[in-house]
Amino acid sequence: MKNIFYITTLLFLLLQSCTKEVKVDIPGYEKKLVIDGSISTGQPPLILLSSSKDIYSETSQSAFLAGFVSGATVTVSDGTTSVVLDEVCTDNLPPGTEAFAAQLFGIPVSQLANYHLCAYTSFNSVIFGQVGKTYNLTVVSDGKTYTASTMIVSPTSLDKVFWKSDTYPDYGYSWATLSDPPGQYDAYMWEVKRINKGTTGKPKDEFFMKTYTPVFDDSFFDGLTFDFFYENPFSYHDSTFNQNYLGYYEIGDTVVVKLSKMDKNVYQFYEKKYVQLTTSGNPFATPTNIPTNIIGGALGVWAGFSPSYDTLICKP
Amino acid sequence: MKFFLSVFLMISVFSVFAQENHTLSGHISDSKSGEMLIGAQVYFPSIKQGTSTNNYGFYSITVPKGVYIVEFKFSNLDPFSKEFNLNSDTVYNHEFTSKDQALQEVVVNAKKGSNVKDTKIGQMELGIDVIKLLPAFMGEVDVLKSIQLLPGVSSVSEGGQGFYVRGGGPDQNLVLLDEATVYNASHLFGFFSVFNSDAVKSVNLIKGGMPANFGGRMSSVLEVNMNEGNNKRFKVKGGLGLISSRLTIEGPLKKNKGSFIISGRRTYIDVLMKPFISKSSGFAGTSYFFYDLNFKANYRLGPKDKIFLSGYYGKDKFSFNDAKNGFSVNMPWGNGIAALRWNHVFGQKTFMNVSSTITDYQFSFGSKADQFSFNLFSGVRDIGGKVDFSYYPNNRHKIKYGLDYTHHTFTPTSVAVSQADTKFDTGLAQRLFSHETAIYALDDFDLNSRIRVNAGLRYSMYQQVGPFTRYVKGFMNAPDSTIVYKKGDLIKFYNGLEPRLSFRFLLNEKSSIKVGYSYNYQYVHLTSLSAVSLPTDIWYPSTSLAKPQKGWQLTAGYFRNFLNDKIETSVEVYYKGMNNLIEYKEGALPQDNVKDNTDNLLTFGRGWSYGAEFFIKRTFGKLTGWIGYTLAKTERQFAALNYGKPFPAKYDRRHDLSVVASYKLSDRWVFSSTFIYATGNTLTLPTAWYVQDQNLLFDYGARNSTRMAPYHRLDLGATFYGKTYKTITNEETGEVSKVKKKCKSNWSFSIYNVYNRANPFFLYIDSKGTLLGGDFKLSVKQVSLFPIIPSVTWNFEF
Repeated sequence: MKNIFYITTLLFLLLQSCTKEVKVDIPGYEKKLVIDGSISTGQPPLILLSSSKDIYSETSQSAFLAGFVSGATVTVSDGTTSVVLDEVCTDNLPPGTEAFAAQLFGIPVSQLANYHLCAYTSFNSVIFGQVGKTYNLTVVSDGKTYTASTMIVSPTSLDKVFWKSDTYPDYGYSWATLSDPPGQYDAYMWEVKRINKGTTGKPKDEFFMKTYTPVFDDSFFDGLTFDFFYENPFSYHDSTFNQNYLGYYEIGDTVVVKLSKMDKNVYQFYEKKYVQLTTSGNPFATPTNIPTNIIGGALGVWAGFSPSYDTLICKP
Repeated sequence: MKFFLSVFLMISVFSVFAQENHTLSGHISDSKSGEMLIGAQVYFPSIKQGTSTNNYGFYSITVPKGVYIVEFKFSNLDPFSKEFNLNSDTVYNHEFTSKDQALQEVVVNAKKGSNVKDTKIGQMELGIDVIKLLPAFMGEVDVLKSIQLLPGVSSVSEGGQGFYVRGGGPDQNLVLLDEATVYNASHLFGFFSVFNSDAVKSVNLIKGGMPANFGGRMSSVLEVNMNEGNNKRFKVKGGLGLISSRLTIEGPLKKNKGSFIISGRRTYIDVLMKPFISKSSGFAGTSYFFYDLNFKANYRLGPKDKIFLSGYYGKDKFSFNDAKNGFSVNMPWGNGIAALRWNHVFGQKTFMNVSSTITDYQFSFGSKADQFSFNLFSGVRDIGGKVDFSYYPNNRHKIKYGLDYTHHTFTPTSVAVSQADTKFDTGLAQRLFSHETAIYALDDFDLNSRIRVNAGLRYSMYQQVGPFTRYVKGFMNAPDSTIVYKKGDLIKFYNGLEPRLSFRFLLNEKSSIKVGYSYNYQYVHLTSLSAVSLPTDIWYPSTSLAKPQKGWQLTAGYFRNFLNDKIETSVEVYYKGMNNLIEYKEGALPQDNVKDNTDNLLTFGRGWSYGAEFFIKRTFGKLTGWIGYTLAKTERQFAALNYGKPFPAKYDRRHDLSVVASYKLSDRWVFSSTFIYATGNTLTLPTAWYVQDQNLLFDYGARNSTRMAPYHRLDLGATFYGKTYKTITNEETGEVSKVKKKCKSNWSFSIYNVYNRANPFFLYIDSKGTLLGGDFKLSVKQVSLFPIIPSVTWNFEF
C-alpha cells in the first residue's frame, strides 16, 4: 500500500512545477520532553533526554546540542528491584565508553569533552534486561514526572539467513527465512552490521544500523514461514559506494543480523515513526503523529528489545 | 403514512376541480436536432400563468376553458405565440428554430425571470454553451470546474477531486449523469472531469432547498443531462486539442422518432511522452492516459411513450515500470454507468418516468517488485430503479411522487499479497451489501398570487444485509475475533423522515424573498486518508458502527432583477448542521484496512457551516457573465480528534470570489475571462521537531491550524468562429450569393493562470543537511502546480 503513496508522489512530481520557501503561521508550539530510552536482553537501560523545538527555531549544531537535557532523576524498576540510573556525561566519561558515546550523540570522539551531554544508564547488573520481565521507567525532569513501561518479549530466531545475487553476479540482498510463532502477536526489527574487514583493515562497521523500514509485525503472516530480503543500509550512507550497487552486499561481506522483538506499543511507535520518515512532505499522505508509550506528556519511546543474532556470509 | 394519504386525497380533490378546466400539454424540442428542450417556458399572458418543460421536454398546464394566446419561450430563441381554443384537452408539440451558434447572443440563463418567480432556492443552472465559451484548462472544457465558479461551490485546490458545496464534503454531492449516480466524477485527481462537454446538454446544481425527489446525499445535487442525439440528420463533431481529442457522432435511428449519440474522448499525454522515454530506458512502459465514451439512444414508441438508453464508460490508466529494479505498477480506475428509462404520459396530466440504473466504480492497484506482488481492489456497484410521477392537476399545482430503490455492493478493500509461492493472510475481501429505499411526494403550488410553496416529504430506509464478516479487535496482544453473518441476514436497519420545504414570497414582479429548509439522510460515506482527494479514497456504506450522516440546512434569499430581467441579483444566507460525519482515527494507515473492517478505523463527529452568497449576473447582451462572492465558515468537531476541540474543515474558506465575463465582439470573435480569489486552504503542519535515535521527527499541532496563502488566478479565453457562409459568384450573371457551409469550425484559445501566480497546492517542512553537520536547516516549502498554460483547441462540426 505504501507503493500507492510512492506512485502518487511520483505522478505528482511529474506535474509539480515549482517549490518555494514561504513563511506561514504555525500556531500551537509547546516545548515537550523527548525520552529516547531502551533496554535489551543482557544490556543496561539507556535513556537520552532532550526537548522538542519550534519549527522556526535555530538549527545550528550548538543549538541542537543545547537541546539535550541533563539533571533529571531517572529510575528503572523490574517490579521488584528499583534502580536510580547514573547520569553519565560526555565531559566525564568512564574509560572505554568514548566510541559508544560518540555514536550515541553523533559527534566525533575528539569533541566529546567540549560538551556536557548526558545519558542515563546503570552499571548495576540487577537491572540489565531479562526476557519476560516488564520494566517501568520514571523520569523526573524540571519538576514534572513521566512514566512508561515496556516488556522484553520472547525472542524469535530466523530459520536461516542467505545471500542471493541480483542483476550483478557479485552483488545481492540479504535474505532470511522466518517462521512466525502462530497464535500470538509478534513484532520485529531488523538491524545489521558488516564485520569483515574494510579498506582500513578494521571491520567495515562498528555499530548496528537499521534499514529503511526496519520494523514489521505479523498481522498478515501470523504463523507462516516465508522468505524476505532487506537491502544493505550502509551503502546509502557511504559516499564511496559504487552507485550501481546501492542496496547490495558484495561477495565476501560477513553480516551480523540482529532481529529484535518488541511489544505492541513499542512497535506502534516505530511503525508510525518510519511512516512519518518515509511520507513526510508527501501531500497524499496524512500527517502522521507518532504515538508514545510514555505517560505525562513527553514524546519518544521506552522500548524493550529481545534480539537474536545470525551471521550471514555473502557467498554464492 | 398519513402524509401520503393526504397527498392522494389532495390529488383526487384536484381531479374534481379539474372538470371545468382543460389541459394543454406536449413536448418542446429544437427543430434542427430534434433535441428536447429543458426548461422551455409556456406562458398564458392573459391569466399570468405558465409552466416550463421538465428534463424530458414535457409540459402540461391545466387552465379554465377559454381562448388563449400562449407564448412559447426558450433561451434567446425567438418567442413564438399561438392561439388556442381550449374547449377540450389539447396536445401541442412545439419545435423551436435555433440560430447558428455564431449568430447567437451569449445567454447565461435560459429562463428569463424565473429566478425571482419559482420556488427554487439555492439552485443554479449552467448551459453547456456558456461553459464552452469559458477559458478551459489545457483546452478541456470542464463542467465541474465551471460550477466551481458559482457562489457556494469550491474546489479544494487545483488537484482536488470533487467539489465542496456550502461547507459539505465531496461525498455529500449527488452527482447524476442521466439519473445514474457517478461515484467519482474526476479524471487524474480532479484536473479533468468525467463529463465530456460534447455529450452534455445541461447542468443543474442544487445546493440548498433540495426537493424531496432527490436524496441520499446531504449537500447538493448535480444533475448532468446528456444530449439525446439529432433525430433529423447525421452529424459529426469533434475537437483536436493539445492533450486530448474528442469525436461525436449523432443521428436519427428513425427520422423524428429516435436518435443516438456516441461521443468519445482520449488523452494522449502517453503518446506524446513516448518518444522521450527510450525503449532501452529502465522506465519504458510508464504512461498515463484516460478515455471516456458516452452513448445515448432514444426512441419514441408512440405519442405517449419514449425510451432512453444512456451509457458512460471511462477509465484512467497509470502504469509505471522501473525495469532496472524489477518494480512495476499498474493502476487503472474508472466508472461504468448505464441507465434505461421509459417516459409515459397518462392522460395529459401525469408524466411518468421509470428508470433503472447501474453504476460501477472500480479502482485497482497492482505492483510487482521482484517476487513480491501486491494487488488491491476497491469499488462500488449500485443497481437501482426509480419510478417518478409528475402530476399537473391544474395551473396552481405541480405534484411529484415516486419510489427510489438502490442495491449497493461495496468492496472497500480487497488485497492479495504474495512473496514467491507464499500467500500472505490478508483476511477476507471486505464486501458489504445494502438496500436503500425511499418514497417521496412533493407539491409545488401557489398559496396565493404572492406565495408559492414547495412542500415535500421523503421517507428513506436502509438495510445492511449479509454476508458480512465483522472483525472485533482484540485488546492489546489478544488476537482479533470475528462475527460472521450469513447471506440475507439483516445486520442493521436505519430509517428516517426527511422533510423539505421552500417558500417564495413575491414582493413585486421583479423581486422576491425565498426561504428553504431541508433535512437529509446520507447512507454512504467517502473515507479519505490523505490531505488531497485520491482515487484511493474509499466509499463505505453505513453499518452498525458507521451511522448514516444526517444534515439539515436552512437557507433564505432575496432575489431582485433589473433592466427587464437583463440583470439578476441575489443574496442568499444559509446555516447547515451535519451529524455523524466520518474521519479516520488519528494515525490510521492505509494498510490497517486489510484484514479488518474499515469502520473499525473510523471516528465520528459533527460539523456546521454558515455563510452568505452574493450573486449578480448579466444574462443578455454583448457582455454577459457574473460575479459571485461567498463569505463563509465551516468547522468540524470530533471527540477523538484534535483533543475534541472544533477545527476548520480543510476547505474552510472565508472569502471566495469569482468573476466571469464573456464578450461577443463580432459574429466571429467571443472573448471570455474568469478570475478567482479564495482564502487559502487549511492544513496540519508540524509545530515542533525532535530527535530520536538520530532521526529527525515531527510533532504535529492542532488539526488544520495552518492556513496557506490565498488562491487567485486569472484565465482568458477566446473563440474564433470560422465563416459559416461562403460567397459564390454566378459566372453568367455575376450575381454574388451566400451559401451556407456544410462544415462549421472554431478555434478556441485559452490562457490558464495568465499572471503566472504560484498558488499553494500544499506545504511541507523541508530539512536540509545533517543534524550535526553545521548545515542543518528547516524551512516551510510551498508547492505549486500549474504555471501559465496556453492552449488551443480546434472544434469542428458537419
